[in-house]
Amino acid sequence: MSRYTELTKGIFKCNPLFYLVLGLCPTLAVSTRVDNALGMSLGVLFVLIGSNTLVSLVRRWIPAEVRIPCFIVVTASLVTVVDLLMQGYAPDLYARLGIYVPLIVVNCIILGRVEAFASKKPVLDSLLDAVGMGTGFMLGITAIAICRELLGGGQLVLLGLTIVPAFTKSPALVMVLAPGAFLTLGTIMALSNYRKLRRG
Amino acid sequence: MKKMLGIALPLIVICVLSGAVLALVHEVTEPRIKEVEAAKINASLSYAFPGGEFAPMDGYYVVTVGGEEAGYAFIAEGKGFESVIRTMVGMKKDGTIERIYVISQRETPGLGTRIAEPEFTAQFTGYRLEELRLRREGGVIDGITGATISSRAMTESIRETGLEVLNESVY
Repeated sequence: MSRYTELTKGIFKCNPLFYLVLGLCPTLAVSTRVDNALGMSLGVLFVLIGSNTLVSLVRRWIPAEVRIPCFIVVTASLVTVVDLLMQGYAPDLYARLGIYVPLIVVNCIILGRVEAFASKKPVLDSLLDAVGMGTGFMLGITAIAICRELLGGGQLVLLGLTIVPAFTKSPALVMVLAPGAFLTLGTIMALSNYRKLRRG
Repeated sequence: MKKMLGIALPLIVICVLSGAVLALVHEVTEPRIKEVEAAKINASLSYAFPGGEFAPMDGYYVVTVGGEEAGYAFIAEGKGFESVIRTMVGMKKDGTIERIYVISQRETPGLGTRIAEPEFTAQFTGYRLEELRLRREGGVIDGITGATISSRAMTESIRETGLEVLNESVY
């Protein structure tokens, strides 16, 4: 595979959410608002790039027997760094994302990419893979969040700017709750699979 | 033995290095985090009792306006639907609410989180502590549709903590 496809595969072809079906726990939890989804995926992107690059750098010195503990220590440390920095320098975001930040560590996309990719491939490829997968995650979770915020909140607010003003007084609350996340995710997944089938 | 060391050593090195990095980041961010926390409390204090000066007491603040004791400010904590709701409450000496401000809560997004919105919090202003109950329980507060537990938890915690503060401040 060329460098270019290492980067782009995570965005569409092997999208971590709709194709690999990884990292669903934070996706379901955080996709109620577009702001939260973006904040979460920025955190994931940062940790993913960090852990993929670091693990790829030291992959020759990690014994196969203890590779998983090593990966977890690296990922957990990066997450804690994000957590502390966010708490100190982006308190508003932290107030909303606080409980979800530790969830990054159990985001299977990160451990999945480290184990399946970074522990076997050179640094540059791993970096590109991380950027692609992180971007794919961001696009996926943002798409879900747009649907849920529109239908469940009756408006769309992005970074304090109202994109779509409130159009109803009684939005479909179920979309903000857990079932709404499954419904949205399932529908988008079905549409993307349908498109793939049609193209053969 | 040699094989065991070969396995253990890299893991130990990684753990030690990670620990060092974490200690460093903690060292750098700790004062900043404390500042943010303190700023949050200060901001909520001056929102809950505008124009007041606050002297911390045991568990609450005595508010003075223009040198005269005007009331109290305290933090009420109530167990909501899925989190602890912490509210800063400004209260006049006679037990009427000045203003309230939700410091932290992690209720259901879109439902319970609406307890932090002014539409809900503004209802408390001007009522006496004893009157603070949900309307369906004979009080004066309109709960939020679909978030009765959050609304009730917050209302109850404010009334109960407020009465405690009033009792204590008498002595």
